[in-house]
Amino acid sequence: MKIGLFIPCFINELFPHVAMATLELLESLGCEVEFPMEQSCCGQPLANNGDSKGACDAARRFTNVFQRYDYVVAPSGSCVSHVTHHYDWYIAEDTAYQQLKPKVYEIIEFLQDVLKLEKLPKPVYFPHKVSIHQSCHGLRELHHASPSELMMPYHSRLEEILKLVDGVEVLLPERRDECCGFGGTFCVDEPELSTAMGEDRIAQHEATGAEYIVGADPSCLMHMGGIIRHQGKSIRPLHIVEILTGRGAGT
Amino acid sequence: MKDDSVKHPQATAEFLKDRAQAKWHDSAIWWVRQKRDAQAKQLPEWEELRRLAREIKAHTLSQLDDYLAQFEANAQKNGVTVHWAADADEHNRIVHGILAAKQVKKLVKSKSMLTEECGLNPYLEQHGIEVVDTDLGERIVQLRHEAPSHIVMPAIHLKKEQISELFHKELGTEAGNNDPTYLTHAARANLREHFLTADAGLTGVNFAIAETGGVVVCTNEGNADLGTSLPPIHIASMGLEKIIPKLEHLGVFTRLLARSAIGSPVTTYTSHFHQARPGGEMHIVIVDNGRSDILGNEDFYQSLRCIRCGACMNTCPVYRRSSGFSYSYIIPGPIGSTLGPSRDMKKHGSMAFACSTCGSCSNVCPVKINLHEQLVLHRKKAFEQNLLPAGKKMGLLAMRFLTQHPALFDLGGKVMRKVVPIIPESLTRHSAWSRAGRDVPPMPAQSFKELYQQRSQNKKDKEGQQ
Amino acid sequence: MSARDNILARIRQNRPAASALPDMHAVPFIRYDNQFEAFATLIRNLGGDAVQLQDGQSVSDVVAARWPDAGRTIDLTVAQHEEVDDPHAWHDVDLAIVPGQLAVAENATVWVSHPDNRFRSIYFLTQKLVLVVPRDAMVDTMRDAYARIRLAEHGFGAFISGSSRTADIEQSLVMGAHGAMAALVIFV
Repeated sequence: MKIGLFIPCFINELFPHVAMATLELLESLGCEVEFPMEQSCCGQPLANNGDSKGACDAARRFTNVFQRYDYVVAPSGSCVSHVTHHYDWYIAEDTAYQQLKPKVYEIIEFLQDVLKLEKLPKPVYFPHKVSIHQSCHGLRELHHASPSELMMPYHSRLEEILKLVDGVEVLLPERRDECCGFGGTFCVDEPELSTAMGEDRIAQHEATGAEYIVGADPSCLMHMGGIIRHQGKSIRPLHIVEILTGRGAGT
Repeated sequence: MKDDSVKHPQATAEFLKDRAQAKWHDSAIWWVRQKRDAQAKQLPEWEELRRLAREIKAHTLSQLDDYLAQFEANAQKNGVTVHWAADADEHNRIVHGILAAKQVKKLVKSKSMLTEECGLNPYLEQHGIEVVDTDLGERIVQLRHEAPSHIVMPAIHLKKEQISELFHKELGTEAGNNDPTYLTHAARANLREHFLTADAGLTGVNFAIAETGGVVVCTNEGNADLGTSLPPIHIASMGLEKIIPKLEHLGVFTRLLARSAIGSPVTTYTSHFHQARPGGEMHIVIVDNGRSDILGNEDFYQSLRCIRCGACMNTCPVYRRSSGFSYSYIIPGPIGSTLGPSRDMKKHGSMAFACSTCGSCSNVCPVKINLHEQLVLHRKKAFEQNLLPAGKKMGLLAMRFLTQHPALFDLGGKVMRKVVPIIPESLTRHSAWSRAGRDVPPMPAQSFKELYQQRSQNKKDKEGQQ
Repeated sequence: MSARDNILARIRQNRPAASALPDMHAVPFIRYDNQFEAFATLIRNLGGDAVQLQDGQSVSDVVAARWPDAGRTIDLTVAQHEEVDDPHAWHDVDLAIVPGQLAVAENATVWVSHPDNRFRSIYFLTQKLVLVVPRDAMVDTMRDAYARIRLAEHGFGAFISGSSRTADIEQSLVMGAHGAMAALVIFV
């Protein structure tokens, strides 16, 4: 089983430690992982701003780069969701893409559904309170949890996998799955609104008494992190793979 | 009338200057979303109901011409006069014609977003007819010469103090009495007089039943009923997408509407109108005004399933923090942000971008319209029609290029990581990223690619040594 | 071509893909073990009340006990009820007793479409509305209701639940917007 590691462009530049944690976690679980150097952006920012040609080219490039792997795994629900849920708008007729699509996983999905992870490669003790940040695309497109709008049995991938971590106390903010306001280029198209949404979301995470905001999408964490730093708050955003590799508290 | 020249980002920035008011607006509307959740939770069949509603509407739209013709024939059998309006002007002329023929001086109206869309009130007023909006929220905004800021809660942008002040001036209520019960009952007394002295009543339409030729109007206040049971003329204005095939289908839609809209199991009055009251006449005006064009658009025709419950507004984190007046189209929020750009991309294009694509709207929608996806699809049109700000378009084209040239992309990233830390904060703090209070992320010394290359090299070296 | 024909032609030309009508009766909907209790609990939050007539009690007993000082009262449940020539003539009715044909447990509505009533304005002008419903005329949901209702009154019929209300001022619920200020459903 050969895994192609898909590291979204902004994670590559700004959150290399999240990418490294993902790689190490997969390797420590015995996976053969390769990071194809010729990868670039999945095209979501282009698609979300209406650049169909750019989005289409990006989708084809992604398909070409990753089609040789058995699985493709990434530490971002949003980028994975763009590949698995929106490439059909641009390259639905591409048979290579259709073959690739079911093999593309967000990291937590991969751990739970493919590796059927029942315990972490090495025990992790993380004696902290964490507030779950359920990012929107992971929630409503990848179904990582039951969205609060839908009347269905409750589930949450992030809560489920944190049960493998010792000592952690998992909390949920009021309005458990409201958007943090990042929204891709929305965050610079409407900075006042985006920041206001982020401030509200952070306040709700803080109100749980948590020390960390834990999520699976670095983009939301980056946005909230920027506001947290600006306001000198003590709560810290943290990507869930950093906890699972046992490095969480150090970052 | 609504200011349709606003651009969402600027109007929102303005709205957010009063954070206390904005927070109140957000909480008041979120409360309605919570009430909706509580109602939905009580029905084990909720998600199945949404599926049924979606499928009934999808079927109806696929044979809409047949159902409209059937509706017309049955309405005529009931003695109702049916009119057809290709656009807003024709609608207004028809309504005025009906009123002028009977020398109507005063018209009482219940809630109708369609007449807002058509600009009926100013048209009739120009022709010397007094128009009284009778839904309390609509009356409030009418007295303030404003448009409704929400399709179900027209005055949700106002605090009770503002309404008290308005009623003091317009209705002579006690100064400083802000009690909602007192204010509501003052409006009740005032509007009763209007109901009793009106020459005609106009309602919107929630559902039009092809099988029976009747229309259904849902209100909590009873204003549509008073407005149609007293005056001798009842005019019902409906968008042509309001059709449902059979009476029994109301057994799906009336279960969804009030629960989705206001978190109530039903509206107080669900009234079925098939004839005028004895001695009166009933007219139905069927309005196209761009709807048949939307029907022909594969990406957007689903928006015609909308039953105007407003649930998408209540759940929308953007709407709650920007208010209806930040949207240029008469219908704000997610559904307005697809209908507006469908109507006029140039005017309403900014609405398609007023969205973080969180997708909550599509999940609350009782007829399962893919709202957040439609907004992204509208952006395609905006891009193609060259309506993006020049700087943004350039940025996207650069991004398009770099995406196909990873080496240059990496170089760009590297430059960013090296340069950003040495730019003085005084320069970055006015950037779109930072200006509202958001610091740039710390810039790592190395990208993951660089780290990975090193790691691979180290591995190789190690293997070579062994 | 007329506006009508133009519009219909354009719709015909723009028809979306065919889509089948679902079987809305195939889906199980909620059932209530105690329909009256469900109805009564709900209506108390909707500005109304519901009671079951006890043995030996009459509708007028219940109404008189509740509103001993009621003003102009019109009782449409009796065959020989007062009539008027103009719908406005009901404007000063204080209490109207009206037959309801069917009650719905899921939302506390009563179907009103009275073959022997001339002006429906009475339902909305009255200050207090009493709906009298046979106790076996109760269904669980609106789907069941639509299978049973008839439009008997000059092409008009309404489901009425509780009293007229609004929350248009700061989302504060106020009873008595334009229609009845109070509502009582009596199951007989």
